Amino acid sequence: MAPAVLIIVVLRLWPLLLGVNFSFTGDGDRNGTAVGFDNYVELLSDPLFRTALGNVGLLVVLLPVAVAIPGLLATFIYLRVPGNRVYRSVYFFPAVLSPVIVGAIFNLILAFDGPLNTLLGTIGLGPVDWLGDPGVAMFTVVGVHIWATFGMALVVFLAGFSTLDSALLDAARVDGASLPQTIWHVIIPGLSRTIQFVFVTTMIGMLTSMFGLLYVMTAGGPEGSTYLPEFYIWTQQGQMNRPALASAASTVLFLIMLVVGLAQMSVLRRAGRED
Amino acid sequence: MKQRTLWSVALISGLALAGCGSAAPTGSSSGASSSGASKSKLVVWDWKSGDKNVASYVEKAKADFAKKHPDVTVEFVAQPFDQYYTLLGAAIQSGKGPDVMLFNGGGQIRDRVDALLPLDEYVAEDKQRLAGWDAFGKDGKVYAAPVTLQGHPIYYNKALYEKAGLDPEKPPKTWDELMSDCAAIKKAGAKCFALGNKEGIGIQFWLSGLGSGILTPKEYDDWIAGKRDWASPDVKQVFKLWKEVNDNGLNNDGANSTAMFNDAFSVFDAGKAAHIIGLMSDVGHWKDFGEFLGDKVGVMQAPVVTAGAEPSLPYDGGIGYAVAKWTKDPKSAADLVRSLTSTDALNAFYTGAGAIASDTTIDVSQAPPAVSTIVSQLKSGKPALHVALSSKTVDLMGRLSQKVLSGSASVDEAVKQLAASDRAG
Repeated sequence: MAPAVLIIVVLRLWPLLLGVNFSFTGDGDRNGTAVGFDNYVELLSDPLFRTALGNVGLLVVLLPVAVAIPGLLATFIYLRVPGNRVYRSVYFFPAVLSPVIVGAIFNLILAFDGPLNTLLGTIGLGPVDWLGDPGVAMFTVVGVHIWATFGMALVVFLAGFSTLDSALLDAARVDGASLPQTIWHVIIPGLSRTIQFVFVTTMIGMLTSMFGLLYVMTAGGPEGSTYLPEFYIWTQQGQMNRPALASAASTVLFLIMLVVGLAQMSVLRRAGRED
Repeated sequence: MKQRTLWSVALISGLALAGCGSAAPTGSSSGASSSGASKSKLVVWDWKSGDKNVASYVEKAKADFAKKHPDVTVEFVAQPFDQYYTLLGAAIQSGKGPDVMLFNGGGQIRDRVDALLPLDEYVAEDKQRLAGWDAFGKDGKVYAAPVTLQGHPIYYNKALYEKAGLDPEKPPKTWDELMSDCAAIKKAGAKCFALGNKEGIGIQFWLSGLGSGILTPKEYDDWIAGKRDWASPDVKQVFKLWKEVNDNGLNNDGANSTAMFNDAFSVFDAGKAAHIIGLMSDVGHWKDFGEFLGDKVGVMQAPVVTAGAEPSLPYDGGIGYAVAKWTKDPKSAADLVRSLTSTDALNAFYTGAGAIASDTTIDVSQAPPAVSTIVSQLKSGKPALHVALSSKTVDLMGRLSQKVLSGSASVDEAVKQLAASDRAG
């Protein structure tokens, strides 16, 4: 007990407190002096940080899509569409690639004069500046992130399906239920715990592991439209030489994650209780 | 995730410290030579010494230093450039780290002079021989000795000029001439400019590369001296032309999603665009382009836009070595910096990496014409406009320039925001 507490206090809580304390000091000429809430005021008035927070909101909004895609594909595999064995391994493959490699590959594919736009051109659609249009770029990066990570969720879904009572599916088929009806009335209720679990893990994945992709694919651009708080912290600390401001941003991010984490824990706990 | 962030900060600083620790096994922080001690050590951080093409430079500098201080060993630690200033920031925060370190000129070093030792008393003898000191100074003191010069010549592709029926030895002198040449080049099937603005760097090159043809000499000098009149029509003109050129289809497509490093350079290399505002050292310079275009690489001066403007080569000190405040033996650390900027070493840097070195006594008569053009312009050259801006304003300018290209911000709006950021410091 005691060593565990000691490790948590010394290696986790103490640095955390140091970081929070540091966020109340100044940068540059005011290095080391207490500045109260100046850094937080500056953060809130920085449109770039507000964009970063807005993008966190966007990720939450896009979460159902990120969960629905692997769920739907797992359903097809479970229902044995032709070739389901091949798809099972193909879908999982991107999950083993590092974000940097994924980003580099998609940088080539999505370049303005890249293959995707060439393809669109041959079917008569105008080129889209996937990574250069501020209205599109964030969705592009999230799309690539989902592509790169949905394999893991797919595996979890497949595991969930193995616990599904096949008698229910047979009964639905006998009753003449269509595929959408089967999904809505049988599969989704039967998998509610799996779905909740995937929601929580996908959320964590989206909020913590986008940095590599962003760094490689857009570096926060265009027009600062793809900033996330992590990227903002990195820029302020490493590029702008504003470590105290970066600490303040980290503290804000910590508070957001605390709220999200607590909400997720209560979701999981409720799911456990239903059992 | 805050914990994760903290963990990574702790890890990074831990690694950084371990880096110095392993570099200085004596344990007494970064062991510099103390008087009377036996063998002591100086640690150098940079992002260059790992490159193959600067190996002979490092060797020459080491040999020169060994002659003066046989009892001091020198260890070079090459850091990845992506992480360089993050690692350095961690070292500065903890007050421990390398004795000598490499810096980019301009904002990167000026933001960090609190951690550096003024070098004026040590490098007085080198002041005449080396160029580019201004980029490493603040408030009248010098904090690093320049190794290379970095600037933004306008390179052009002579082969495309020939293809378009233009005289490759007579590049345009005015903006109107440039535009009519560009029309001919467009007809010949190439773009006028290779532009990469994904990182927001394109606008920096644009501002500095063309600025001397747009601002009057007085406006230019005032800008460098810190008296920047953002309301002046000439300053606005810089951004107006930035937009106009893109709107008229003279840039390669998708400039906002093309990275300057190195996609835009590749566009120029491949002969898809006739001009590029490039660099003098590191990458995107005469030697890089020459590998693809051979002797068809030309260098031209900024075309005159405003009557009375005097085009000049924009350049500053590119990279330079500085001495940390916490070093134990400032004298030998400063001597190491002097060895790193000795004529022999810099000559090796120039021949190995193709950089325009800071040493004005290096002989470039054997070099390709592009080099002699650049070197001949050094004397009349002036500091680059964007280097005079704070890193915060430069960052903002990158984002605003993307907005101006995409049309989501007007030129007036962009200039107004930049003026406000510049005033705030």
